[in-house]
Amino acid sequence: MTYHGEDPGRLAGARRRQASVIAGLLVFVAVWALPVLGMAQDAGTAYQQVAYRDIPYIGSRNVIWIVAQLHLLLGGFVLGVPIFAWVCEIVGWKTGEQRYDTLAKEFTKLLTSAYATTAIFGGILLFLLIGLYPKLMAYLTDVFFPAFVIYGILFLLETATLYIYWYGWDTMQGRLKGLHLLLGFLLNFFAFFIMVIPNAWATFQASPVVLSEVEPLARAWEATWNPTWWPINVHRFIANIVLGGFICGAYAWIHYLTAKTREEREHYDWMGYVGNFIGVFGMLPLPFAGYWLMREVYEYNQQMGITLMGGFLAWLFILQAVLIGVLFLGANYYFWMGITYRIPGVAQSYKKPILAMLIVLMVCLGIWMTPHSLVASLQETKAMGGAHHPLLGVFGVMSAKMTVVNFMILVTFMSFLMYWRAGKQETATWAKVAKAVMGGLLAVASITIIVLGVWGYFVPALYRINVLSVAQVLIVLFILLTFTPLTALLMKSARTTTEMVWGQMPVRAGYTLVLNAIMVILLMTLMGYARSSSRVHWHVYGVLRDTSEYAYSPALGFATALMSLNTFLFCLLLAFIFWVASMGEKGKAGEPPGKGYLPGEAVPAMAGGSPLLEEGKKL
Amino acid sequence: MPQEQSFTRNVIKKGVVGLVLGVIFVVVAKALAFPPVFQAMFFAYAMLGAAVFILLDAPPLKPVTGGKALIALVVFYAVLSVVYVGGASLWPQYDPEVEKGKIIKLLKAKRAKTELGKTEELLARTQVLSEKADAIMARLRNVGGTAMAMVPAGAGEANATRRRLAASGDLVALGEEQWELQECYNCHTIFGKKSKKRGPKLDNIGNLMTAEQLREKIVDPLSWMAEGFEKQFKKKKMPDKYRDLMEDSEIDALVVFLTTLKNPAVETPKPIKKK
Repeated sequence: MTYHGEDPGRLAGARRRQASVIAGLLVFVAVWALPVLGMAQDAGTAYQQVAYRDIPYIGSRNVIWIVAQLHLLLGGFVLGVPIFAWVCEIVGWKTGEQRYDTLAKEFTKLLTSAYATTAIFGGILLFLLIGLYPKLMAYLTDVFFPAFVIYGILFLLETATLYIYWYGWDTMQGRLKGLHLLLGFLLNFFAFFIMVIPNAWATFQASPVVLSEVEPLARAWEATWNPTWWPINVHRFIANIVLGGFICGAYAWIHYLTAKTREEREHYDWMGYVGNFIGVFGMLPLPFAGYWLMREVYEYNQQMGITLMGGFLAWLFILQAVLIGVLFLGANYYFWMGITYRIPGVAQSYKKPILAMLIVLMVCLGIWMTPHSLVASLQETKAMGGAHHPLLGVFGVMSAKMTVVNFMILVTFMSFLMYWRAGKQETATWAKVAKAVMGGLLAVASITIIVLGVWGYFVPALYRINVLSVAQVLIVLFILLTFTPLTALLMKSARTTTEMVWGQMPVRAGYTLVLNAIMVILLMTLMGYARSSSRVHWHVYGVLRDTSEYAYSPALGFATALMSLNTFLFCLLLAFIFWVASMGEKGKAGEPPGKGYLPGEAVPAMAGGSPLLEEGKKL
Repeated sequence: MPQEQSFTRNVIKKGVVGLVLGVIFVVVAKALAFPPVFQAMFFAYAMLGAAVFILLDAPPLKPVTGGKALIALVVFYAVLSVVYVGGASLWPQYDPEVEKGKIIKLLKAKRAKTELGKTEELLARTQVLSEKADAIMARLRNVGGTAMAMVPAGAGEANATRRRLAASGDLVALGEEQWELQECYNCHTIFGKKSKKRGPKLDNIGNLMTAEQLREKIVDPLSWMAEGFEKQFKKKKMPDKYRDLMEDSEIDALVVFLTTLKNPAVETPKPIKKK
């Protein structure tokens, strides 16, 4: 291929770029080829049943860890985004605001390439598991084979629905919008069960039940219905929404930075807001889902619970508290930035409440990250007077932690309400009464949450878990569910005193969006490590022992390094997916076909960005 | 320019407050005998708070695009990673060797049955014998002759009895080790500890069941039921995995340990034969 009339410098640059891309691809292929060395170990011998194969230099466990983590994160993304997109589409349809529909479409476009990438990683993971852990896979196949079949069928249905949903977007407008929304529902319905089925395999490994059934389907069902299955399903479902929301925020910020027109900046600023909003609202019930999961873990096997919360993984939960704390701070900070920059002139009046909320958040974070049992040497423990510190030890127990989590959720909700009400003047005659009622309710709720938290110290654990903690959660939910419609009613008749200005957010607000996305991804990787380590040296807890050389749990320092690597790789994959999707946009923007433009061949159909298809031309 | 000056003032003011608070936290934590790692954690917490407060009033940064934006993003991630990995590495680490040791103990009996295990055991015995021979030779060299200790008559029988007792004592210890390794304590308590709702106390089980009956219960959990634990029995709370997971010798050791639990002072539910 020649480039007539091209600048030689640019040509050299293009060649350098091509060379670096090829070099990068070679490194990538070399890394993926490493497992072949593992297979080669047994190639010379006659067929024999092996329990494990290893991969030199990296180690089979690390390879599985990386691939499984990437698959899971991509899975979270492709399952979270359709929920996000579908909800936006419904909002757009109901309110008649086209921008919601555009937003939903923009994210569905990402889905197609993301979906293919997830499937590829799923395939790689499966091959690696069969190759590296044949004994475990034989056992799981024996138990779950009927579920594999159902999973395959669901996968086909999901794929078909996704492609019809995406490619039919423009066709199914107007009268056919209802059908399109139904497809969106089906997409999420199949996606949910695609998540739920493998969750059964993973949770069975952690909390297996006695298998007394003989018939394969009944046996698979018996194994599926294990104690941690539904807590994980709910937890992951919510976490996927959070992941989808915060990644949407980060995506919006990257576009915001590269936006060329004011309209584009406004659009991506708004998209960042929506992403953060969905992420935050998903995040609010997440601690409760996590609490339920841990309760079930304790109920199933106390030792496993102790291993997680008070044993060698106890420090991990301090790390989790820090990550979640930073996430809460980031989410609130973004709301406060919004008040300052999107609603000019009102920031001063909100300065004091913001300061108060920040102090409450910091205090809550401090209490949340206080460990129960302090990991200390014998001398340190002696000097302290025991493994629990006599003074701060009281903050280490669940009663204190549940109380501060509830407070952090309340503060975040208040930040959102403040943002919602900023720049508006209520005109309803009952506004004063409503505000007084809300203020009173908030005060009563806060005091009650503290009283219940303190009460928790003086009652048996079971009563605290089943009654007091549940009551705290219900109080917060009550506040959320009463304040939202009440504020919506107030705002309906409110007079706008300061118009909201989009596209003015500072760069650091964008970094907050990226920070939130990274925190969520790191949290997911951390919890994956926790769940896997809680099984200690078992593939299937108490049933199938891990006899490989990697049966032990790695130390936290090493684990976090791998988590960080996984997060980085996942971000790279996302960047690739976004880039592929943006190729379609460039073509659509009417850019003249440049050098080497190959109609048809260069259209990224798998990325869903085909301008030809979108506009119904030429094909 | 005035905005920059105001921001510098903001950084200094809040930075100093953060530092002072951090130092106060460290001093107080030290006075309250917190381990050094916690003192560092409290300091980091104060600095995190200061950073958030500084950022609250920070002026907008100059937007960057293209390659610079990409580099800024990667640097941002690198900083986060260093803080995350560094922080987690500096905290007290769980030692994987502890778990490795436990795994070796668990797998010892199974491994000894394999060809590789047998070879390893022979090599280990050879090593021990070689060390003993070296020690004897060294002692002989020290006394300057080849004198042999005279063994009094009847000593052989006494030694054999001692060996038997030692072996019996070992079996109880091995059984207790199995109790720990198989994590029986998850559902049962012994030595007067508070009872658990999943399984009965076993403090007096040695007076209630014979060794054969105990073995039967471990291998087939549905063969016996503890009085008052009908619900748990119906739900098959006791796993039936032990016949597959444990070697015969390990079950024997556990049974011997359980038969030594004879404390009538602690109420132990009556076993009821079900099969």
